[in-house]
Amino acid sequence: MNLSTLRPAFWSLAPSQYRIPTALSKPTQPLLKLASQSSPFSSTQNLQRRKKGKKVILDARITAIRYHLTHPLTPRPLRFSRTRFLRHWTIHRAWMLFLRKRRWAEERELERQYMSMRAACEALRLLDENGNAVPAEEAGAFGPDAGKLGPRGKEVGRLYRQAMTKKGIWEHGVPIEYARIQTDFPGREGWNHGWTR
Amino acid sequence: MVSATPSFRQLSVCLRCIRQPSSSSSPVNGIPLRLLSTSTAARQEVQTNAPAAAQPPATFIPEYMQKWGTLDPNRIETKRDERRLMRREGILPIGSRRRRAALRRSSLRNIPEVPFEQLPYQCFQEARKILQEDRQEKLKQIETQTLRLRNLVAQDPAMSGGVEAKEARIRSMKNHINELVILADINDPMVKKKFEDGTGDMNKPIYRYLADKKWRQYKRLVLEQRITQMSIVPDLLPALDLIVDVDLAFSRREVAPGEFVDSLVSEQMPRLKIQSFEPGEKLITVLVVDADVPVPEKDGFTYRCHFIAANIPISPTRTSVPLIRIDHQDRKATDPSARHIALPWFPPWAHRGAPYHRMAVFILEQTEAKALNIAELEKTKRDGFILRKFIDIHGLKPIGATLFRTKWDDNMTGVMQRAGLVAEVDIEYKRKRVEPLPYKRRTERMR
Repeated sequence: MNLSTLRPAFWSLAPSQYRIPTALSKPTQPLLKLASQSSPFSSTQNLQRRKKGKKVILDARITAIRYHLTHPLTPRPLRFSRTRFLRHWTIHRAWMLFLRKRRWAEERELERQYMSMRAACEALRLLDENGNAVPAEEAGAFGPDAGKLGPRGKEVGRLYRQAMTKKGIWEHGVPIEYARIQTDFPGREGWNHGWTR
Repeated sequence: MVSATPSFRQLSVCLRCIRQPSSSSSPVNGIPLRLLSTSTAARQEVQTNAPAAAQPPATFIPEYMQKWGTLDPNRIETKRDERRLMRREGILPIGSRRRRAALRRSSLRNIPEVPFEQLPYQCFQEARKILQEDRQEKLKQIETQTLRLRNLVAQDPAMSGGVEAKEARIRSMKNHINELVILADINDPMVKKKFEDGTGDMNKPIYRYLADKKWRQYKRLVLEQRITQMSIVPDLLPALDLIVDVDLAFSRREVAPGEFVDSLVSEQMPRLKIQSFEPGEKLITVLVVDADVPVPEKDGFTYRCHFIAANIPISPTRTSVPLIRIDHQDRKATDPSARHIALPWFPPWAHRGAPYHRMAVFILEQTEAKALNIAELEKTKRDGFILRKFIDIHGLKPIGATLFRTKWDDNMTGVMQRAGLVAEVDIEYKRKRVEPLPYKRRTERMR
């Protein structure tokens, strides 16, 4: 189908539909017919009979408000009938419920992954040279002082210590294990000058 | 002028429709009071409406108008009928003309109306499916939690870490179950619809929850503000946590908290509507205290008790407390213990020239719904009444309050004479003349 025949009709519509309301040069002209005001700032129409020859006073603010509210670029207010609104509300609630469940599932997945990694590290920490599990008292320390050896020395948790090395992860500036996530307030203990890797 | 008449009438019709007060729950002239709002307009309920605007139009209908037959605002579809409806009934047709036509035609063809839940909109039906799944989940959770709670109750306290720990756990589990009960129903559109229509059953927790939330969103805030603004709280009670909704009205006149009430209106006992949001029945004591009784000898103020009624049962569904009717029943009662009113209503009064009097109405819950002895309450003295002492003596708990104000007006003379205060009528309070300080005194020369 040839659309060129329809074009003039669209052209005639387009400029009036999408005019940008920049200038308020001549908005009063069509609105003059709508309202005549007796009080200085009132948006209600005065429907009493007008006296002849009496000039209509229109507040510039009302003109501006009305101009922008009736402008085609202003989104239409959301007006629904009772049942339509209830249907809208139902759908909205279902969507909110869906989002909440999805977020909850995402959080649980992250938690699961973290716990799994943590369990793997713990297993490595309690592993000796022969691949046997040792009791926790014989293994080295964990957490911030992961490099500290236990009573059996280097032979327990070698893989754990290797996994915990932060060397070369972030070479520039502050070492990664001493770094701190930016928060609104400084840390409680400030800068530890005696810190070494 | 003749041509102008109908348009004026229509205008007044429109205004009448717009200014419809929301005091009654059912629409008076067919127009739904809730216009596209998510909740009923609580603001309108708190406002005091001019009673003149609420009057329905006069019922005289000329003959030619009667010939028009019945005009259903839901069904008419022609312009002429709409005009006639507005002229004769003074109401606007409901909804769009298209909707009305559809309704009329489906009723003509006897097509049954589709219930709201079965409306054939795909997205709506999918949403309902999701919500119902969630509800089933919640019901299952409630079941398991109840079972766990039952097991916990049966458990030996030594097993669950002491009596206190066990009680705390039972409490928290019960709270959790209550939460789940609310969550199971809160997404139901029919529940929302029923609640907004005011047809919700207050015995069900979900409707109580919704009503409580709505009350706390506006009405309670206003009441709390008035109570603190007019210093009821530090003057009469040290603190007050409002948990019941109290509506005060003198016969038909509804009184917003803190409003000035004409003495003639307040001569009769008020009518209370007390909405409790907690399950179960409560026994309450209603108390009215005047917080501003002037004492000229001491150049200060004291309190006076105007009314005490006790042992009044209320529950979420039993809200009305018509004190006048209770008074009538009391008079008929032969058994003195069956009576409710301990101190009969003493009409609020104020001297001429005195500042306004705050009349505070208190709703006090009786502990464990134990009945108070009316004969003992009758011994309470009206003058110099101290509310804190009264509460302490009788073991009461303030759960609600409201107030109104009274001052000297034209009807006060009659009210005082009828109340037996003839000697007080002629007393007029005036401000003391404050002698200006010497350095501010005008000299004779300046006069």
